[in-house]
Amino acid sequence: MSVLRLEQVCRSYEANPPVKALDGIDLEVEAGEMLAIVGPSGSGKSTLLNVMGTLDRPTSGRVWVDGAETSGLSDAALSGLRAARLGFVFQGFHLMETVGVVDNVATGLLYQAIPKRQRRRRACEALTKVGLGDRLDAKPTQLSGGQRQRVAIARAIVADPALVLADEPTGNLDSATSGDIMKLFADLNQAGATIVVITHDNELADQLPRTVVMRDGQVVADRVKASDMVKVAGGES
Amino acid sequence: MIRSRVRPGDLIGIGTIGLRSRPGRTALTAIGIAIGIASMVAVLGISSSSKANLIAEIDSLGTNLLQVQGGQSILGDSSPLPVSSQTMIDRIPTVTSSASVIQLDTKVQRNRFEDEPNGLSVLAVGAGARETLELKIASGMLIEGKASSLPVVVLGSVAAERLGIGNVANGVTVSIAGHDFAVIGILNALPLNPDLDRSVLIGDQAAFELLGVDPNPTTIYLRVRPEKIEATRPLLARTASPMAPNEVQVSRPSDALEARAKVDEGLQKLLLGLGGVALVVGGVGVANVMVISVLERRGEIGLRRALGAKRGHIRSQFVIEAATLAGIGGLLGAGLGSVVTWGYATRQGWLVDIPVTGLAYGVGGALLIGAVAGLYPASKAARLDPAEAVRPHA
Ligand SMILES: Nc1ncnc2c1ncn2[C@@H]1O[C@H](COP(=O)(O)OP(=O)(O)OP(=O)(O)O)[C@@H](O)[C@H]1O
Ligand SMILES: [Mg+2]
Repeated sequence: MSVLRLEQVCRSYEANPPVKALDGIDLEVEAGEMLAIVGPSGSGKSTLLNVMGTLDRPTSGRVWVDGAETSGLSDAALSGLRAARLGFVFQGFHLMETVGVVDNVATGLLYQAIPKRQRRRRACEALTKVGLGDRLDAKPTQLSGGQRQRVAIARAIVADPALVLADEPTGNLDSATSGDIMKLFADLNQAGATIVVITHDNELADQLPRTVVMRDGQVVADRVKASDMVKVAGGES
Repeated sequence: MIRSRVRPGDLIGIGTIGLRSRPGRTALTAIGIAIGIASMVAVLGISSSSKANLIAEIDSLGTNLLQVQGGQSILGDSSPLPVSSQTMIDRIPTVTSSASVIQLDTKVQRNRFEDEPNGLSVLAVGAGARETLELKIASGMLIEGKASSLPVVVLGSVAAERLGIGNVANGVTVSIAGHDFAVIGILNALPLNPDLDRSVLIGDQAAFELLGVDPNPTTIYLRVRPEKIEATRPLLARTASPMAPNEVQVSRPSDALEARAKVDEGLQKLLLGLGGVALVVGGVGVANVMVISVLERRGEIGLRRALGAKRGHIRSQFVIEAATLAGIGGLLGAGLGSVVTWGYATRQGWLVDIPVTGLAYGVGGALLIGAVAGLYPASKAARLDPAEAVRPHA
C-alpha cells in the first residue's frame, strides 16, 4: 500500500499575477521508500512537502496520507494525522533552546497524550538511534549544527511515523556533516522508515534510490535506481 | 481516526515554556500586574488595619456612652433640660452613671483685661463626670467634693494649649466672667468628646454660687449597661423632659467616630480605582508582550502544528501563558501589598490586618485579566497558517 499518493495536485497563491506553485503533481510513495526531491529555487519543493504533510491544502487535486484521503478531513483530524503518522525535519532545526534534548525530542509525542515518562523513555531511544545516546543531558546550545539536526530527526521519528518529510535538512550544514545526515536518513530507511528529503544538493540526491526533479511546479523527472539502495546503506562516502 | 490530544497535566508545562525561556521579560511584564495588585492589596490592607485599630479604640473608649441634649424649640429658642432631668435619668435601672453639664454663656480668658476670641467654652460639671466621661488628668487634679464650690478650673487639652498653659505648678489663674479661677488641672484628650477638649470645666456649685448660673443642664452624659444600650435609648427623651420630649436630642458619641471610619471608604474606593487602572494597564502590557511573543514564535507555532497540535492546543497554550504571567504578577503583588500593609500598620502602631480574601481575589483577578489579555494574541497564534509558520523567514 502506498504511504502517500498525490493526484493532479495544484496549489496556487493569490498574487498578481497568480503563482502556480504546484501545477498538476501526480506522485506516489510506497512504504519503505526513500526519495529526494530536487529542483531550482522557487520550483515548488517546499510547497509540495507542506501539501504532503497536510500543513497546506491543495487548491485542487487529492492527497492520500497513510490511506486516508485528506480533503474531507477537518483541521483537527489533520492534526491527529500529523501527530501520529507524520514526522517533519526542517532546515532551521526548530529546537527549543532552553530545554534539554530529551524533552525536545519528547515533544514529538506530546500531542498524542502519551504520559511524560513514556515520552522521555522513547525520546532517549530515538536519540540513541540517531547516534546521540551519549548526549542525553545536553541542551541544544551545547551541540554542533549536525548534532542539532540529529536531535530534530530524533524528534521526527520518535512517534514511529508512516512518513518522514525533511525540507532541506542539510541546508545549514557543511558538506561533510550533510553527508553524515544523509547517511543517518539512509540508516533509518534501512530500519524501515519511509523518507522524503528535499535538497538543493544534486550530489546528495544522486546517492538516493529515487529522485524526483521539479521545475515550475511540475515534476519533470522521477528516476529510480533500484540497486543503489544497498550502496548508500553501506555508507561508502 | 487518530485524534490529537494533550494530557491536562501537560498543559501547564506547555503554557509556561515561553515564560521559562524568557525569565527577564516575564519578570518585567509581571511587575506591571504586580503594581496594580500590590496597590489594591495595600489600600485594602491599610484601611482594614486602620479600621480594626479604630474599632479597637472605640471599643476601649466604650460604646455605651450616651448623650442627652436639650435641643431647640419649634420657635428656634434653645431649650435647656429641666432641672430634674438628671435625677429622672438616674432612676432608669440600666443607667450606671451620669453627669450633667451646663454650658455657660460666657468666655474664658488668660486674665480679665484680655478679650481675644478663642473659641473656648465654659462648662459647669456636676458630680459623676470623672466616671461617666472617663476624665483623665494630664497634670494636676480634678474638681471633686468640696472643690466644686471653689473658684477652680480644669482645662481641656486644647483649651490649655490655646490659653498657653502647660502645667498647673505655680498658681496660674484664668478669668471667667470677671472672676479669677485657679487652674488646678489639665485633662488628657477625650477622643469620644472632642467638644470637652475645647472647654474649661468649673464646679457646678461654683457656677451657681459665684456666677449665678441657671441650674438647667445643657447636656447629660450617661453610661448604660452595654447590652441594654438599644433598650435604653428610646426611653431617654421622655425621661429627661416629659413635657417636651421632641426637643431632646439623644446621641451616642462613638457613632461619630464610626462615621469617621466610613468616611474613609470614599477615599478607599478612589485608591482602589487607581489600583484597578494600574491593573488594566498591566493587563494591556501582558497583551502587548503576548502579541510580540506570538510574532517572534511563529516558528515554534508552526513546529507544534507539524507535531500535531490542534488550533485549540495553540490557543490554550498562549492563554495559559498569559494567565500564568499575570498570575505571577498577582502573587508578587499580593506579597508586596502585604509587606507594605504590614510596614505601614506597624509604623502607625496599628494592629496588622492583612485582607486574606482580598489576596485571593487579587491573585484570581490577575489570572482572569491575564487570560482575557491572552485571548486575542492566542487566537492570532491559533489562526496562523501552519505552512506559512514553518517557512524560514528572513
Ligand atoms: N505565501 C506565498 N504567497 C505567494 N507566493 C508564494 C508563497 N509561498 C511560496 N510562494 C511562491 O511559490 C513558489 C514555490 O515556492 P517554494 O517555497 O515551494 O519553492 P522551493 O522550491 O521550496 O524554493 P527554495 O528552494 O528556494 O526553498 C515560489 O515562486 C514562491 O515565490
Ligand atoms: Mg523551499
